Amino acid sequence: MTTTGDPTASRLTARELTLAYEDRTVVDGLDLDVPHGAVTVIVGPNACGKSTLLRALGRLLKPRRGAVLLDGTDLARIPTKKIAQSVGLLPQTPVAPEAITVADLVARGRQPHQHWWQQWSDADERAVTEAMARTDIADLADRAVDELSGGQRQRVWIAMALAQETDLLLLDEPTTYLDISHQVEVLDLVRQLNHERGRTVVAVLHDLNQAARYADHLVAMKAGRIIAQGPPAETVTADLVRDVFGLDSVVVPDPVTGSPLVVPGRPWQSPAGG
Amino acid sequence: MTSAASSPAAIRPAGYALLRAGRAAFLVHRRAAAVAAVLTAVLAAACVAYLSLGERSVPPAEVLKVVLGQPSPHELVVGTLRLPRLCVGLLAGAAFGVAGALIQTVARNPLASPDIIGITQGASALTVGAMTFGVGSYAVLPYLSVAGGLLAAALVYVFAWRGGLHATRFVLIGIGFAVALRSVTQLFLTKGDYLVAQKAQVWMVGSLNGRGWAEAVPLAWALVVLVPFVLWAARAQRTVSMDDDTATALGVRLGRTRLGLATLGVLLAALATGAAGPVDFVALLAPQIARRLTRTAQIPLLCSALLGACVVVLGDLPARMLFAPTELPVGVLTAAIGAPYLIYLLVRGHSVRRRAAGGRA
Repeated sequence: MTTTGDPTASRLTARELTLAYEDRTVVDGLDLDVPHGAVTVIVGPNACGKSTLLRALGRLLKPRRGAVLLDGTDLARIPTKKIAQSVGLLPQTPVAPEAITVADLVARGRQPHQHWWQQWSDADERAVTEAMARTDIADLADRAVDELSGGQRQRVWIAMALAQETDLLLLDEPTTYLDISHQVEVLDLVRQLNHERGRTVVAVLHDLNQAARYADHLVAMKAGRIIAQGPPAETVTADLVRDVFGLDSVVVPDPVTGSPLVVPGRPWQSPAGG
Repeated sequence: MTSAASSPAAIRPAGYALLRAGRAAFLVHRRAAAVAAVLTAVLAAACVAYLSLGERSVPPAEVLKVVLGQPSPHELVVGTLRLPRLCVGLLAGAAFGVAGALIQTVARNPLASPDIIGITQGASALTVGAMTFGVGSYAVLPYLSVAGGLLAAALVYVFAWRGGLHATRFVLIGIGFAVALRSVTQLFLTKGDYLVAQKAQVWMVGSLNGRGWAEAVPLAWALVVLVPFVLWAARAQRTVSMDDDTATALGVRLGRTRLGLATLGVLLAALATGAAGPVDFVALLAPQIARRLTRTAQIPLLCSALLGACVVVLGDLPARMLFAPTELPVGVLTAAIGAPYLIYLLVRGHSVRRRAAGGRA
């Protein structure tokens, strides 16, 4: 089940990637092959550069040095609209235009496939309808995005990214702001897309246990470098958790999936035992 | 092409009608189209009223005769005095409306408009400077004011540009320049001769008094040239209303699109200011009213243009008549309506933000 995609069959790769904001280097000389047709999850402590890396993979951030390659070509050399036909990206906190309706927002995912003289096609209609059915928001089509709950809104954004119909989908912490049942729903949807549609997914997740459950390929980052990567069963160990997060823990098999489950050490107790 | 009816649950953006012609397909917002039709009718009625009312009233039937070029005893009053002035008002109002819509879109801020980010002030500074120092004839003033507006906008760009046009920085630097240029204008006024200062004062409020074909014709040509760009803008505007990351992920060349929209907005505002003077609040008001009427996710350009024209024409009519034979500058009236509306927007914007913040928790 935890088949890691063949790295040689990678469409999206990073080569000696150095990323910086102003004069602060966040990622330094990183190499990564995103396994084709698999779910890759990037984990790491806060400010380790995982979101920055995802932004660079989606050409939202220009590398200081090195490059991100799509099918062997530097992203900087591909027209951005062309990239948008292959790579979709959902940022951490996307902002919708004021008063936009759900169907209108999802339809904007079709942007890279449209021209000014061809603003709507049957393919657009099919993609939007399907994306909304998959995310279970068809009933919300005419509602304003502003008035939805956090969970509904996140599903609308995911529907927009799905409507883009890209082979590669990059998700930056897609479960933030969601309660646990909606988190599971979103992650199941991601997995389903990967299995049924063969979409390659790269997601940044905060929760190590969710990462271990849903990833085919896990990438653990710390201070702008990749510390370990591979199938979660081989990657997630107590040593790694201490190394990357600085946390003492016990790693046991997940009672449901058998994937590694990280259980942090005993909570603080008063020395008096009271 | 097969019809959409093949799938019963097919979803398409709500409220849009699909117009197809061969492979081309256009989405038209139904409500915006209806609002545009109503506004066109209102504007037509306003124009007839504008031409027929005044110190000497002319029956609407006679007005139509003059407009259609048929001989009429009212040729002088309607055709020579009122019609050219109406044309300046219509064109400048429409240009202000679209300019405001574009600048508000780029700035992602309903309070941004050419009279707030320094364009109007640049036009005023150069024009008033030329007036007080007696440089150039009266006929050159409109061109100077266009140049002043563009110059101010160029300065704002240069200082706001840091690898891209960032919305907040653009507005803040614009406000800074507006304040600085306003004091430069004041300096010119105090330096200048009393009579010139008074004349400059009237120009600075924006008045259609004494404007005619000399202003209307060049403005009309300039707007005709800009129409294809406005059509591009109507489509491009959709994409910049999202956040930067999402728009880029959707394949939008954000920097270029935003720069193009802002430049077009600045050009329109400078041209309108050159022809009619800085008519306050039109650029601010028209897009916001238009958006509230159409309920679209972005500011509708056609309705903004129509509303801009309506506001100026309907503002200039009482400006002309209230204290006849003395004329009020139209800018005074648009400001009198605009200021309370601005306050309303500020108050309402505050409560909306608070509600949104509450909803997030």
